[in-house]
Amino acid sequence: MSDPKLSPLHEHHLKNKAKFIEFSGWTMPFSYSGTLKEHSYIRNDIGYFDVSHMGRLKISNSSMIVLNTLICSDIKNLPVGKALYSIFTNENGCALDDVIFWKFSNYILLICNASNTDKITNHLNEKNVCYDDITKNTALVAIQGPNALKVLDKLVTIPESFSCLNGEMYTYARTGYTGEDGLEIMINIENLDKLISFLEINNIQPCGLGSRDTLRLEASLPLYGFELSENITPIEAGLKWTVSNTESYLGHQIIKNQIDTGNHKVLKKFIIDSRNIARTGTEVRAGDVTGVVTSGNFSPLLQKSIGFVLLETEPDTDLLEFEIRGNFIEGKIQKKRFIS
Amino acid sequence: MTEKKYLETHEWYSLTNKTITIGISDYAQGELGDIVYVTLPEVGQEFIKGDSMVEVEATKTVAEAYAPMDCVITEINPILDSKPEVINTDPCGEGWMVKAEVKNLDDSGMLYQEYESFIS
Repeated sequence: MSDPKLSPLHEHHLKNKAKFIEFSGWTMPFSYSGTLKEHSYIRNDIGYFDVSHMGRLKISNSSMIVLNTLICSDIKNLPVGKALYSIFTNENGCALDDVIFWKFSNYILLICNASNTDKITNHLNEKNVCYDDITKNTALVAIQGPNALKVLDKLVTIPESFSCLNGEMYTYARTGYTGEDGLEIMINIENLDKLISFLEINNIQPCGLGSRDTLRLEASLPLYGFELSENITPIEAGLKWTVSNTESYLGHQIIKNQIDTGNHKVLKKFIIDSRNIARTGTEVRAGDVTGVVTSGNFSPLLQKSIGFVLLETEPDTDLLEFEIRGNFIEGKIQKKRFIS
Repeated sequence: MTEKKYLETHEWYSLTNKTITIGISDYAQGELGDIVYVTLPEVGQEFIKGDSMVEVEATKTVAEAYAPMDCVITEINPILDSKPEVINTDPCGEGWMVKAEVKNLDDSGMLYQEYESFIS
């Protein structure tokens, strides 16, 4: 196996005394001051994540028609200057990856999961999509939190929600993965010091992948490899809202059948009225319906255990029973969002 | 109370007569990160050396603490139910987990200096 890759911000993380983990072939910060504290920076104030491990591919506009046959959303009719969350599907309608697109006048930026960058580039090669892999030449930093835009206003022009801008120094979008407002900013590595200075001058606290996970769970956002996989369709993952592509794309007939019949697995949010965490792989029953926890953790906001469970079919009860290391713990399906 | 000794599985213990106090090391809490829930045994429960006594839930993962020797639980730390985070802030003091009556003394744990070189 090759050595794990280092982010262009790695030296900066060392200076900030990050605790690192190996994640999808990268050495990335897990935490600095502690997951709960970092979670609180983002929920209540402002913080930043280095997400440079995510793949960044510049796709030529000439490949838009082909690209539209590979994803379940309609990128062709997406206005320039907008961001789009979508899913690359396989012939079974299941997820190859969930990604973000930023659509500019002369190209589309594709941001994919680090674990899937090779898979997606191979897929694009097979389908003759023209792209330029700029992952190595750039850094990607997500600055998030209720006070994020107020601070970022000093750096860049703030776009509308789910919109993107391409400035002289920064390419960015008002997107994120925490349930809070903020920007995700891409910069060429030769200019990275400028962004790092901005973070330091404004005393924006670094946050690691640990809090990124607890924040995205509270925000009910899926993580590839857990809520989505090559065996789970967007419909099963509760992402029907992403299916806006009315033309033919990989696996579209299967997805259409699932929408029409309602005959498919279902992903549900759950809450347990204690701090007993139901982790990935925990077996669950909802009446006669069985399922498995895809992600579970402690919610700092609710002070309870929350997560996602993939059930074989729609259950006729909201009550759940989790088998956690030999003990049966009760929980329930959460219909509303965890955070308001 | 005797000097604390440490196990390769990162528990510490100290002995007073026939009573042992058990917790996890500062290194262990640092590796686990934020601790949010602790499942403690019940008073009277018996353990053989190496048995899992306590489950520690952190945001990162779940870990177990093992019995350093054969013993019977006599007391559990009542603070941990509402404030499991004291294991993070004071793992070798306020964050102790259980006290137990020793049934079969096995004082083979490492002194801190030896443990320190074990974890470094």
